[in-house]
Amino acid sequence: MKKVLFTLSLLLTFGNGYSQIQANEKLVYAASYNMSGLMTQLAQVSMATETIKTSKKTYLHLSWEAATFSKWDSFFKIRDLYESYVDPTTLRPSLYKRSIYEGGYTKVEKYIFNADGRTIIGTTKKKNRPETKNTFKVGSSSQDIISMVYKLRTFDFKSLKPGQIKSFIIIFDQKEFPVSVKYMGKETISAGNLGAKECYKISIAAKTDALRGKDKNLIWLTADSKKIPMLIKFSIPVGTGQMKLSNASGI
Amino acid sequence: MRKLFFYLAIFFSVLGIAFAVLPLGTIALLPIGLALIFSFLSFKKSEKNQKKIPKLLLIVSALTLLVVVGKEVFIKDEVIIDKQFDQNKIESKKDAVKELEGLE
Repeated sequence: MKKVLFTLSLLLTFGNGYSQIQANEKLVYAASYNMSGLMTQLAQVSMATETIKTSKKTYLHLSWEAATFSKWDSFFKIRDLYESYVDPTTLRPSLYKRSIYEGGYTKVEKYIFNADGRTIIGTTKKKNRPETKNTFKVGSSSQDIISMVYKLRTFDFKSLKPGQIKSFIIIFDQKEFPVSVKYMGKETISAGNLGAKECYKISIAAKTDALRGKDKNLIWLTADSKKIPMLIKFSIPVGTGQMKLSNASGI
Repeated sequence: MRKLFFYLAIFFSVLGIAFAVLPLGTIALLPIGLALIFSFLSFKKSEKNQKKIPKLLLIVSALTLLVVVGKEVFIKDEVIIDKQFDQNKIESKKDAVKELEGLE
């Protein structure tokens, strides 16, 4: 599941510019895995945004939740929570949190981004192991995977020609990953309560063993100002799958 | 040939039942379909006094098929309300606010 979520995150991970992401948006997806040529629904993935206020600042709370459908809970229960607290305008993260429960395995992770944007204090707690603390350096443009997910939707795809590639860097498991995104043109996709929509088709590639195949990791974003992810297809070492929008609210 | 069909029918019937019990959705239709085919072939190839078990396998496969189709039609994919998970989310948010206050 970690690889699946990592892949899904990569597929949603690019952009520049300023935030068009609103608070109180909720996107719900049905995640399916290809078993013997048939798609089997495994889990529900929700992406939500919310405004969080502290005494001095306002943050945008970006969260991803993955939960297996009840029929799978007895066999392999998943309850994953990924969160990023970002500047509402620039989407630069201040805090990233990850808490996973996958078939009994647990891992809790936290990154605190220093004001310089290049130093991260990371803490990790795995099941039956003591908590570890680590300070590490990253590039000034590197971001956690969740905040980058939302940056994708601020990117101006109109300015790209089909086949054009952009490169980016994301942080996952306390490592930086170079990732490239290729704009492949437009296609119409039908999903959830949004119905049929013209979408930007984007291919993602990363220098990691989490993704497989050329142009097999794809995402379709609505070709409008919202850029809602309608469909995500992924190919990982253990198979292929997809995430299809089932409901979008607050957009 | 009858023996081959017979053993294949048993194998796929058992596999079909296992898949039907597991939450594998329509994938279970693959072994069930094969079980039906081999059960039918085994039934056809059998002498009158040998038809009892192939017939039983056909019935079992047909019932398994009904169970799988019924599960697909009547049981919806849904996530149950998980109070522990919901509580963890609330706690996580509270802790995050404290962390963010500490950063400012």
